[in-house]
Amino acid sequence: MSTLADDGLADDGPAGVALAGDALAGVPGGPAADGAVAAGLDGPFGQLRARLVDAAAAFAADSAALAEILAGLVDDVAWALAEPLEIFPVCHHSPASALAMARRLREKRPRVIYLELCEDLRPILGELRNCRLPVALQAFAHELEGFPAGVGPLSVVAPITEASAEHQAIAYALETPDVELVLVDWSADHLFQWENHHRPDRADGPPGPAPTGTGEPDHGGPDQDGEEAALHGDAVGVELGDLRPRFAELEEFLLRHGRVRHWSEWWDQYVEQPLSDADHGTYRQALALVGSLFRRLTPAGDGRLARDEERERHMWTRIREHLAASGTDRDDCLYVCGAFHAVSRVPEFGTTPSSSGPVEHSQVEHGQIEHGQAEHGQEAAAAPVAGYEIGPVTPTRWLYGLIPSSNSAIEAQFGLAGGSVSIAAATWAKALARSGVAPFRLAGQPGASTARKAGAGAARKGGRTARPRAASPAAGSANSPAAGGGPGTDAERLSGFLERPPALDGIDEDELLGWCVDIVRLARRNGYLASTADAIAVFETSILLAGLRNRARPTPYDFQDAAVTCIEKDVVPGRRDVRRLCEILLGGDRVGQVGYDALPPLARDVHDRLTPLGLDLSRRTVQRALLDLTAAPELAPCSDLLWMLRYLLPDGAVRPILGVRRLGERSTQESWDLSIGKHQRALIELGYEAVTVEQALEQRLRRTAWDPKATTAVALAAVEDAVTFLGSRRLADELGAHAVELLTGERTVDDAPEVLRRIRRLLDHYRVTEPAALPEWCERFVKEGYAHYCTLLPTAFTADDTGVRQVASMLGFLLTLENLALALGCDRAQLELAVRQSHPREPERTALLWAAQTRLGQLTPAELRARCDDLLTNPLVTGAFPRYLAGFVQALEPVPTLAPFVVEIMSRAFARLPDRVLLPWLPTLITTLRDHAGEHMPTLVREAGRTFPGALPALDAWTAPWSSRPPAPAADASTAGARAGGADAARAARPAAGLVPDLLVAHPATTDAVATLLGLAPAWPATAAPGQPTPAGRDDGATRDGAILLLDRYPETAAAVTGLLAH
Amino acid sequence: MTEMLRAPAEVKYADELDWLESVDDGPKPYSWRLSPRMVRLFVLGSQKSDKLGRQVDQKWFGDASLVERAVVTLASDRGLLLIGDPGTGKSWLAELLAAAISRDSTLVVQGTAGTTEDHIKYSWNVSMVIAQGQSRESMIPSPIMTAMERGVIGRFEELTRSTSDVQDALISILSEKYVSIPELDNDNVVFAKPGFSVIATANSRDRGVNDLSSALKRRFNFVRIPVVTNRRSEADIVRFRTAELLRRHQIELDLPPTLLDILLQSFADLRTAAASATSDDEKLESALSTAEQIGVLEDAILHSQFFGEKQLHAGTLASSLVGSLARRSSEDLAILNKYLHGVVEPRGRKDGGLWPEFLEGGRQAIAVLS
Repeated sequence: MSTLADDGLADDGPAGVALAGDALAGVPGGPAADGAVAAGLDGPFGQLRARLVDAAAAFAADSAALAEILAGLVDDVAWALAEPLEIFPVCHHSPASALAMARRLREKRPRVIYLELCEDLRPILGELRNCRLPVALQAFAHELEGFPAGVGPLSVVAPITEASAEHQAIAYALETPDVELVLVDWSADHLFQWENHHRPDRADGPPGPAPTGTGEPDHGGPDQDGEEAALHGDAVGVELGDLRPRFAELEEFLLRHGRVRHWSEWWDQYVEQPLSDADHGTYRQALALVGSLFRRLTPAGDGRLARDEERERHMWTRIREHLAASGTDRDDCLYVCGAFHAVSRVPEFGTTPSSSGPVEHSQVEHGQIEHGQAEHGQEAAAAPVAGYEIGPVTPTRWLYGLIPSSNSAIEAQFGLAGGSVSIAAATWAKALARSGVAPFRLAGQPGASTARKAGAGAARKGGRTARPRAASPAAGSANSPAAGGGPGTDAERLSGFLERPPALDGIDEDELLGWCVDIVRLARRNGYLASTADAIAVFETSILLAGLRNRARPTPYDFQDAAVTCIEKDVVPGRRDVRRLCEILLGGDRVGQVGYDALPPLARDVHDRLTPLGLDLSRRTVQRALLDLTAAPELAPCSDLLWMLRYLLPDGAVRPILGVRRLGERSTQESWDLSIGKHQRALIELGYEAVTVEQALEQRLRRTAWDPKATTAVALAAVEDAVTFLGSRRLADELGAHAVELLTGERTVDDAPEVLRRIRRLLDHYRVTEPAALPEWCERFVKEGYAHYCTLLPTAFTADDTGVRQVASMLGFLLTLENLALALGCDRAQLELAVRQSHPREPERTALLWAAQTRLGQLTPAELRARCDDLLTNPLVTGAFPRYLAGFVQALEPVPTLAPFVVEIMSRAFARLPDRVLLPWLPTLITTLRDHAGEHMPTLVREAGRTFPGALPALDAWTAPWSSRPPAPAADASTAGARAGGADAARAARPAAGLVPDLLVAHPATTDAVATLLGLAPAWPATAAPGQPTPAGRDDGATRDGAILLLDRYPETAAAVTGLLAH
Repeated sequence: MTEMLRAPAEVKYADELDWLESVDDGPKPYSWRLSPRMVRLFVLGSQKSDKLGRQVDQKWFGDASLVERAVVTLASDRGLLLIGDPGTGKSWLAELLAAAISRDSTLVVQGTAGTTEDHIKYSWNVSMVIAQGQSRESMIPSPIMTAMERGVIGRFEELTRSTSDVQDALISILSEKYVSIPELDNDNVVFAKPGFSVIATANSRDRGVNDLSSALKRRFNFVRIPVVTNRRSEADIVRFRTAELLRRHQIELDLPPTLLDILLQSFADLRTAAASATSDDEKLESALSTAEQIGVLEDAILHSQFFGEKQLHAGTLASSLVGSLARRSSEDLAILNKYLHGVVEPRGRKDGGLWPEFLEGGRQAIAVLS
């Protein structure tokens, strides 16, 4: 603080005044308008006030403005101190605040503590006993009411560190009988109401940034080890005691004059360290002064001030309500709030009726308002101020819990310099050991003893500075009237504080040497070529840097700079650079953990159900779980749970290494990498969604399927997941029914490939698992789908925005599920008409259409072949032939039997296309096949293997099957139709299947049965009676002819058998 | 001073250095002319709180902690290596530090592919050797050796441009702090006097050309100078350097703040574009450094002074920008064309001001170059 007086605003002369004047333009209750600034000399602060006003007159060109600010600062301190309810100003994550709090609590033993923290978080504070700090209190809501759609889920976190005043207050209140802890700040709901109301432009995003500490990280920030830094997710952060200049120029000014790089360093050097051993009176006044300075220099139009004032109204109203309701004596209470709020001037400030209404600074000095000094006592603990009403909360259901936090997460969220919270933790441990103050701790809290040990260790390391200071001002002043007396009797202690330069410790050589040696060791472990010479250089450079920066002793930040200078070279060899290594060395990133008892039911359930695995799931390392489900079938429930967790938790929490779980597919052996301890936050937040994992999964699936943007494919995927992970027929039916609704409402066919793939898989699954009957929704899906795709087919064939693959999938649905659809009552005529209405222009789609027509019997294979021949011989369209071929490849989806034909035309294309067409096309062919026909490639390759000779010598004698085929008969209208097509196929199959007639004749039962099925009487034209086998090997021409005739009439069977035999 | 095209820092700021030396009562390491605190002040400028009787201007703009780290390195046993992108002010900082500490910033070895060990240690005056034999008189000491003899700061520019064996000659100089001259029988060792140190600079874009050996790296403290991205600092630098250039060219011209804004904004835009480019063809070849900005401005000022109306216009600035940044005829011109029409044109329509004129100037320049 001495810089404020030494190098501060007064030094800057006119510039400083102009700056302050601008800043004050919009400050409510800013400069007193009554010109009484220089007047008041009464009261304990009168002298200091007069001195400051004189100083302003002596140094500033426009002394009035500066005098107003300086006098206002003193007035604010007097104002805060005059309040009968003792206000304890704090700064966040400040060991000095925590130390002062511990001392004050032991001294005063208050019965009620009012704390600036979301009031609805009170019930979960007790759970802190089960946690290792730092953890964050969280309020979470995903089912919103009263907030615009799309802003959720809403989440607020309030991190609690061990080196914080709020933790001291909480521990004291929870561990001391008959002490009440009252949280008075906005509830999470109020907070988001405000954010929402004041940020209409953020309607479609998370509502607003952190209400406190929204600045950018000062220096680097925790850019490495991002996992720990992201522990809070995208929650809005609240913390008690945000204290930082809101005026960029002021911060820059302080940093420049303090010769420091960032705010955390300035605070540490000029406030934290000087105050760590200060008595209560000095601490309170200094903090209130800093709060006042930042409050008064808030720039005009800063929205945060309005929000802070609203919060202050809320807090004071709650305090008054509580005082009135409980009848507690104000002397037994302590109000713990950020220093910024301690000097508030809102009308609701204070606990006496007379303190209502805005107050001018000068009134305090003139003794016109003395916060109920005459009315100490509970009768004065007044009712709430009329005119201010705390707004209602929305019906939103808020859920509360604790999530693990870390030092780096706190730094990242509140814009603190990287490593500052860690350094604060180390300072706290050291200060405890040095001062001998016994901090308050929650009974049973894990990690508390380690902190004590760390403190003792730091004290040992610290050598001579570790001894408790016998002449500690705090210890000495504990019973002095000035420090220990009532809040109204504080003597002025600011002058002494401001006049003295910060009393820093002398150089602690042992500690610095320890750091230097350790950083070199750490650097070596991280790949740096560092040696003892570097340790010496770091030591020397630290001292030189501190000297250059006017410091008697190198701070951790000087040491960090020195280490970077001496060890960091042009490249960072490992994952962490020297700056990060220093942060680790100086405290390390501490990651908190929420204990089992403080976990939500779902998380506890997960831990319980995974117990058979025999792993310690609270560990933050990755653990391998091996599940042999054949040998240990009792692990099957664990496996089921892990698969569900894999679906629900982010990547990395549970990861299967071996084993799959798909529709109808389970592995007998599984191996998992579990990192649940590290992803505790995700598990806890999952616990807000439901009580069991199954319930959470069901909700998640429902939410996915009923999402406004969900498509049929998404709903079918949800069905698949419901069957795979939950095995729930009820849910699957429900989701399936929704999928049917989505399908009928869809106007695009973009998802057709996905829909086809998924419905086929589901149908296969149900046919196997429930052969008796398909689920009702499946039948409806096929029926509706048939009608739906028939309707859209003609448009899809011509629409530019529909891809070939989509059209192929539509045809795939229509043609491959046709049997089922027809059985369910659909009419094939609808499809035939739809195909006839289709008139594509592009070659790919034309090829698709031809394939469909062939399949439907509207085009014979011979005609199709003739058309392709035309394409290859017509020089005008030769160039487009590859595109036709691409269409045929796609047509394998709806018409798989086209595979031999595709191989044939591809071979012919290679044989006949000119190089100028063929060569540029080859790469395209490969990419087309890879992208669109991946699943058809095996069929094509198999077909090619059947067609082409397997060895080189056979090539000479080989003739392509299509070359030896008799010329195609001319297209004849009378032969159009399925029959003609079938006859052709049978003829084509005959040369390759010479033994088929023999087979059929030898075993006529099949043929007879088929004939019966087709509604015909089995009649074998041969002399042999039906059902009487013809002796094998006998050349019975009549039987053979009869069979051939039969086959000619019903060629499908022969084709199918041929195909089977070929396989 | 007027007889020098560019006076070294110690000449240019001689008055200021003399005055600082006279008021400096801080402890000075070795033979330093100024205490570390005064060196810092000379480089970074004074504040009122320094309570000096005279204003000391800021000469190098950037993070103060970098300067502090550089100064303490020179006061320690190690050499200082300033590393960074081209145009970030490494050489200027080196010059200022040498001038403040030793009052001589001219003991410079320029690292090139042709630099030999002789340039670092010593060479011989061949005619004198023939006439008198090898002696200290016939020896030509290198700037580094001179710095050793005098106990001052020697500089090595572009260290990574010279080959590895040449670089390694520095190792013994920085460790043992002497150079032996085996050719001589007597007086054959030159010991460095206290105060000797080396400031080297290296271009981070040259990494991999001639990598420093681990042994040499150990003897240097590396201080990385980042590219200035803070707009205010950049404006300060451009203003400072331009004023100097104008003085040098004896040109009386006021630089309109709006034009400076246009320049800074256009560079910021182009840097953003370069950062989001996925291939080299999508970004300009230029590093878009602050020095480049100064170059653009200088070019525009000189053009308007000698061929224009002695007043700087946005159009001239645009044509200078195009002329300076378009190095590859097709790729760079295409990027600038895209920038002018995709960014400047809409901005001109929206904000007006000098942007339309800037756009027109850019268009014409591209038309000429295309």
